[in-house]
Amino acid sequence: MDFLIQGLGLLLAPKVLLVICICSLYGLFVGSIPGLSATLAASLLIPFTFFMDPVPALVSIVTMSAMAIFAGDIPAALVRIPGTPSSAAYTQDSFALTQQGKAEMVLGVDVVFSAIGGLMGAVVLMTSAPMLAEVAMNFSSFEYFWLAALGLSATVMVSRGSQVKGALAMLLGLFLSTIGVDITLGYPRFTFGSVELLNGISFIPAMIGVFGISEVMRNVMQGEMKFAIARVQAGRIFHGTWGLFKRYKFNVLRSGFLGTFIGILPGAGADIAAWLAYAVSKRSSKEPEKYGYGSIEAIIDSGTANNSCLAGDWVPALVFGIPGDSITAIVIGVLFMKGLRPGPMIFEQQPQIIYAVYLAFIVANILMIPFGYLAVKTSSQMLRVPKNILIPGILMFAITGAFAINNSVFDIGVLGLMGIIGYFMEANGYPVAPIVLGLVLGPILEQNFMTSMIKSDWDLTLFFMRPISAILGTITVIIWLFPFLAAFLEKAKKNRTS
Amino acid sequence: MGKNDYIGGGIFVALGVFIWAMTFQFPGLDKGHPGPSLFPQVLGTLFIFFGSLVVYNGWKTKKVKEESPPGEEIPLNSFNPILVIILIAAFIAAANKLGFIISGVAILFILMMKLRVSLLKSSIVSVALVCFVFLIFSKVLRVPLPIGLLGW
Repeated sequence: MDFLIQGLGLLLAPKVLLVICICSLYGLFVGSIPGLSATLAASLLIPFTFFMDPVPALVSIVTMSAMAIFAGDIPAALVRIPGTPSSAAYTQDSFALTQQGKAEMVLGVDVVFSAIGGLMGAVVLMTSAPMLAEVAMNFSSFEYFWLAALGLSATVMVSRGSQVKGALAMLLGLFLSTIGVDITLGYPRFTFGSVELLNGISFIPAMIGVFGISEVMRNVMQGEMKFAIARVQAGRIFHGTWGLFKRYKFNVLRSGFLGTFIGILPGAGADIAAWLAYAVSKRSSKEPEKYGYGSIEAIIDSGTANNSCLAGDWVPALVFGIPGDSITAIVIGVLFMKGLRPGPMIFEQQPQIIYAVYLAFIVANILMIPFGYLAVKTSSQMLRVPKNILIPGILMFAITGAFAINNSVFDIGVLGLMGIIGYFMEANGYPVAPIVLGLVLGPILEQNFMTSMIKSDWDLTLFFMRPISAILGTITVIIWLFPFLAAFLEKAKKNRTS
Repeated sequence: MGKNDYIGGGIFVALGVFIWAMTFQFPGLDKGHPGPSLFPQVLGTLFIFFGSLVVYNGWKTKKVKEESPPGEEIPLNSFNPILVIILIAAFIAAANKLGFIISGVAILFILMMKLRVSLLKSSIVSVALVCFVFLIFSKVLRVPLPIGLLGW
């Protein structure tokens, strides 16, 4: 209870409240602009968090991401383009209802059920994270190695498109993490005599490059988008929402927990949660024929799931130091930057910070109602912001942010190079989020592997001797073998049929 | 993606070979155990394996590839992404000599003009935006942004 009060005290500091308000508006703005993702918003926020205390730094990401994921629903409903990938699952339904003159109802549902989903996720985070942290206190380097391997494997498994390409993207991130002085002998690897490379590839410029510069490059390739925006009477958006809540309360409960569970799985983010909730909703609905043609049930389910997923993503990040998605990969980078080591010890050593994060989720999702109303009210203006001015602005912030971390133009070079890599990889069907996860988890994976090997005198069997280590190892190996098993079974099925 | 998969997969295979070649110079641990080279060598092997799979998939896709029907294509300006990189490189080269403000205004102005923003708007927005970013980072966050020519 003391820690809760301390956390509340930290959260209610005027500076933190100001950060919450600014980041809410920032998240709403970025989320509302089609083509700009919540991950881009988070990556551009990092240079600012560098200069903040740990609580406002973490709170800024919590607030911004919650608002951005909700705000992605606005252009989905008004112009049929999802603001962020998390809204893609129900864009068709949202726009179909808008065309039927129900834009106010859709946006009201988006605001309210996003907030409810976010609150449900926060409750699960508050209850499950401390319990898991207790379990994780007994973890050794063997368990941490398998957790990192499991996180990376799950990332590849759920990555969009080809899993082989997802694996290559992850390997690239792992390789980049090996650049610099190694942990066993202090030997400089892949530095080519460069003093700047001795400390390794700086995580922040690399991440801004992969997400920010590649997005700038993609956006400048397309011409200016002009939208025909549906008119909305913001004053009417909450009419009938209570009735919908009463009618679909079980859907909300189911999707809230499903979204949070997806979030807890390493590598799976809000977009996957929304798609899965949509599929489950359709399967259990009494009106499945409406899906794709304007189903409010689909919007309620998916909108609840994608926001509840956000808090779930923080569970593995805080408890094990394993990111749940690309935004929490950024969070782990911020924690390290602030001298905090994510993992069970943070619950013992800095509990007030953890409680402040919990409360930030609750505050952000409560604030979503008034801020969401504001966003809907100003939506037509936000959608008219000219992209040919906005994108150069993002470029300037990205360059300055990359420089600001080490006050070095070398990092701007890293930014540009990673931007090129991210751009070409995405253009050729390689997902880029695994690069960042590989970059974050690489040192954890290698350090725990080498520590375990030296501890066990190079006896690999010890990786399967401790019970939790054996379970995690078995799950990881099954994930590795799954594509081969699936291909083998499919082939066998085909042979039987023919 | 047939041809692109050849190139992409080939690059990753080459990266794997390069990593292996580099690790031969790395020292080992006592009793002949691998040290700094172990993790990169595992990665190199996996790069070669998965890179070859991409090349193979590209070859398979090419074999079954059919002509897609001509459809309405969105006009894309493929030079603009290259311009973004050129501008970043120009900023790196010029920032220390010309300073953050002059270099920043120059790259923003060029990019906005290329994106068909009017001359007047490009001039005003680029100066205003760079000054705003400079004030936030230099004065509020105390980042020592290079002053260059404006620091005479």
